[in-house]
Amino acid sequence: MWSVIKSVLAALIGVQSDFQRQQDFSSGKPTTFILVAILVTLIFVLLLMVVANMAAR
Amino acid sequence: MHSPWRWLLPISFISTAAQAQSSGWNMPVGVTDISRDIYGLHMTIFWICVVIGLIVFGVMFYSLFRYRHSKGAKPATFHEHTTVEVLWTAIPVLILVGMAVPATATLKNMYDTSEAELDVMIIGQQWRWRYEYLGEDVAFNSSMSTPWEQIRGEEARDEHYLLDVDEPLVLPINRKVRFLMTSDDVIHSWWVPDLAVKQDTIPGFINENWVQINEPGIYRGQCAELCGVNHGFMPVVVHAVEEEEFEIWLAERKEAAEQEAMGVDREWELDELMARGEPVYRAICASCHQADGQGAPPAFPALVNNDQLIDDLDWHIDRILNGVSGTAMPAFRNTLNPVEIAAVVTYTRNAWDSDTGDAIQPAAIAEKIVQ
Amino acid sequence: MAPKLPPQHSLQHSSTAVADGQAPDAHHETPKGVMRWLLTTNHKEIGSLYLIFSLIMFFIGGIFALVVRAELFQPGLQLVEPEFFNQMTTMHGLIMVFAAVMPAFTGLANWMIPLQIGAPDMALPRLNNFSFWLLPVAFTLLLSTLLMPGGGPNFGWTFYAPLSTTYAPPSTTFFILALHIAGISSILGAINIVATILNMRAPGMRMMDMPLFVWTWLITAFLLIAVMPVLAGVITMMLMDINFGTSFFDAAGGGDPVLFQHLFWFFGHPEVYIMILPAFGIVSAIIPTFARKRLFGYASMVYATGAIALLSFLVWAHHMFVVGLPLAAELFFMYTTMLIAVPTGVKVFNWITTLFRGSISFEPPMLFALAFVVLFTIGGFSGLMLAIAPADFQYHDTYFVVAHFHYVLVPGAIFAIMAGVYYWLPKWTGHYPHERLAQCHFWCSIVGVNLTFFPMHFAGLAGMPRRIPDYALQFADFNLVSSIGAFFFGASQLIFVLVVVLCVRGGKKAPAKAWEGAEDLEWSVPSPAPLHTFETPPVFHRAQHGE
Repeated sequence: MWSVIKSVLAALIGVQSDFQRQQDFSSGKPTTFILVAILVTLIFVLLLMVVANMAAR
Repeated sequence: MHSPWRWLLPISFISTAAQAQSSGWNMPVGVTDISRDIYGLHMTIFWICVVIGLIVFGVMFYSLFRYRHSKGAKPATFHEHTTVEVLWTAIPVLILVGMAVPATATLKNMYDTSEAELDVMIIGQQWRWRYEYLGEDVAFNSSMSTPWEQIRGEEARDEHYLLDVDEPLVLPINRKVRFLMTSDDVIHSWWVPDLAVKQDTIPGFINENWVQINEPGIYRGQCAELCGVNHGFMPVVVHAVEEEEFEIWLAERKEAAEQEAMGVDREWELDELMARGEPVYRAICASCHQADGQGAPPAFPALVNNDQLIDDLDWHIDRILNGVSGTAMPAFRNTLNPVEIAAVVTYTRNAWDSDTGDAIQPAAIAEKIVQ
Repeated sequence: MAPKLPPQHSLQHSSTAVADGQAPDAHHETPKGVMRWLLTTNHKEIGSLYLIFSLIMFFIGGIFALVVRAELFQPGLQLVEPEFFNQMTTMHGLIMVFAAVMPAFTGLANWMIPLQIGAPDMALPRLNNFSFWLLPVAFTLLLSTLLMPGGGPNFGWTFYAPLSTTYAPPSTTFFILALHIAGISSILGAINIVATILNMRAPGMRMMDMPLFVWTWLITAFLLIAVMPVLAGVITMMLMDINFGTSFFDAAGGGDPVLFQHLFWFFGHPEVYIMILPAFGIVSAIIPTFARKRLFGYASMVYATGAIALLSFLVWAHHMFVVGLPLAAELFFMYTTMLIAVPTGVKVFNWITTLFRGSISFEPPMLFALAFVVLFTIGGFSGLMLAIAPADFQYHDTYFVVAHFHYVLVPGAIFAIMAGVYYWLPKWTGHYPHERLAQCHFWCSIVGVNLTFFPMHFAGLAGMPRRIPDYALQFADFNLVSSIGAFFFGASQLIFVLVVVLCVRGGKKAPAKAWEGAEDLEWSVPSPAPLHTFETPPVFHRAQHGE
């Protein structure tokens, strides 16, 4: 699970080693990656909203 | 100027000092603390872009020159380098965070409309501004005064071509003035670059902004949101004066308003009404119905030889008081006073070839407004 | 994802002819003349139709722009009335966005995506024909509004309510209908592209083996499917407000004019990326070809495209910094907008490191691609400046914004389209474009584009609002230069037409692999590409294409 999160975060900033990517593509299931990515996106948006609200105070 | 984050931005200090006035090529530094802060942000991000640009384009043009196929360059095969990729993601993020911090501080300052000493209501109308000094009983319209002859090229254009109005907004310096902004028809945007205030005026909603001007002077701007045919012809002029001067001006305006209010009760002569009506017509009506009353059918009907208008006085007055819904004709019952309405009705019924001889009395109009 | 979707499409379409044991060209009777083009279901013919249509519209939209620039040549009203001026700015924007840039990319997608993934045609050929033929209908309708009483749309291409509802000319209902039809065309085209890419790749080609043009179009297609319905919704609400007495955007009836802007820009911002992502794909194909070196970071390019697409849904209100949003919203949209600079930067850095230590030659497609990198980056810089919300209070709705988005769209999207056309013309026609003329076109365009749009930065900073038919005297010099540049740029596009016509009629013969450094599958079919290609799926060798 941790490696999936790590890969998604790496994708988010656009950096990933070739080796790790080969592994993800051969072993991982696409659905888990997509679900985790949607979750990470939601967290990212919420995080930004919290930051904006804190800065606005 | 006083913000604690200023040490981050030495570049903007230099450029701010070097340029007290807009050179005509760049954003004006302006005459408020906020406008100076914004100018500082603008120059900082500009120089950041210039530096990044020099590096990126430098590498690019070096590569284009150095590794030409025609000079027998052999391509390397390297690709993907994690450290480089992390760096070129991380460095921009750091720069952006560095920019976001001062930008946030400035924005919070701009949004703080508390503790204002004077409230001015700004109302956008097709195509003029209306200013109301809240609690002072002073209100007036401000329309472009550049004559159409200049726009058509029939007269020489003067220095403030398109940027002059009949009645400027007068504001005191060194006082926090709060603007409450709305619109009677479509969305407009009230903008004066030197004050760094640009805010949309939206029908049915009230926006807030504020300004505290540091130097007396005349500051010009324009409507910034497309608002119809004459969007290009609704300038803003702000006359910033010393505080004592402002108090004197305000007292004069109040007195004039009272005079005008008293004028409602007396009998007016035809000539008097015509003389009063002409400037009102030019400022308010001429942008659509044209100075010669010919209009621009079908959108803007002609007033000359308009039988319905000539035959039916009540209909004519009703159009002006209540407007025509679904068209560009607004209601003037709240934006013009009874004297002005009576005068302009009289003017349109007697100017050009329409010599009806009607002299509409302000008292009659005032009665209709009450109804 | 791909394995779960039914793979049988390629069998249904491609192998009919082979299965019947007939020659590929004879498997159905080809209608002649006009009917051939009206009824064609061939991706190459439909691609050509899209491209020709968009070129015609590019010139019509260009003429509208020249009317605007002619009026702005000097202060005062000389040529047109303000009313007609507003119709021209509006129509210029609408035609260029919806009828020139978008169909041009769809045309390139039609031609090249099947060739690049080794598919015999698009997944849904009849739908493909329908999506194209909706476009001439939509834009004939839109252009005809100019002749209607009261004139055409005059409220800017962003058609803010209530100017576009309560105060709009009577022709607005036709404008709404035209936009609906164009929107349906875009959605159908996008569905077709998604279906093609996910189902019809050559055996052995995984998602991460696809050329970047295919990747960027896949993401673009999803953006289109996501946001075109929002546009349809917002124009339907306008339709109701105008004709059926609702008050979605009318404050007098309890509506909210700002709601219009939120909905419009929720469509409008992804729309901006719809117009630029395929351009990234084209440039990412051309630069490695003429640098004779692999793209530096293929994977990070794909990720960056995804990140840009994702962020494009989170930044819409940066077009609305001065409508009076709450402070927290203002800050949120400022932060997200600044963040979008990061993946965009990653793309530029990748192109430049691809050039570094390559072996570079300067054929016409490469010239346009390099100009794209430089000038798009300049547009990106002004975009970064516009992202700073406090400063945007000064920039908003001035010519600075006009300069910004024209830098992104003209030497951005349109130069990329031209780069793509020069790059693939040998494949389409079997001839190389005339080198000298193409170079002439390039240098004239570069000079014209910068002469037109660079002074607009200064005019905007000095305080000139956009969409005004006449301006104060201090802006006269900038506008003079811009207008001269615009006419020069417009005229130099005639050279482009000349090059394309000459190239179709003859020229230096091109081999299958027309460019020495080109790698993708389209270069394995003969030049000119026969009407039917890849009827038996090619075997995709990963080794040839990197990895």
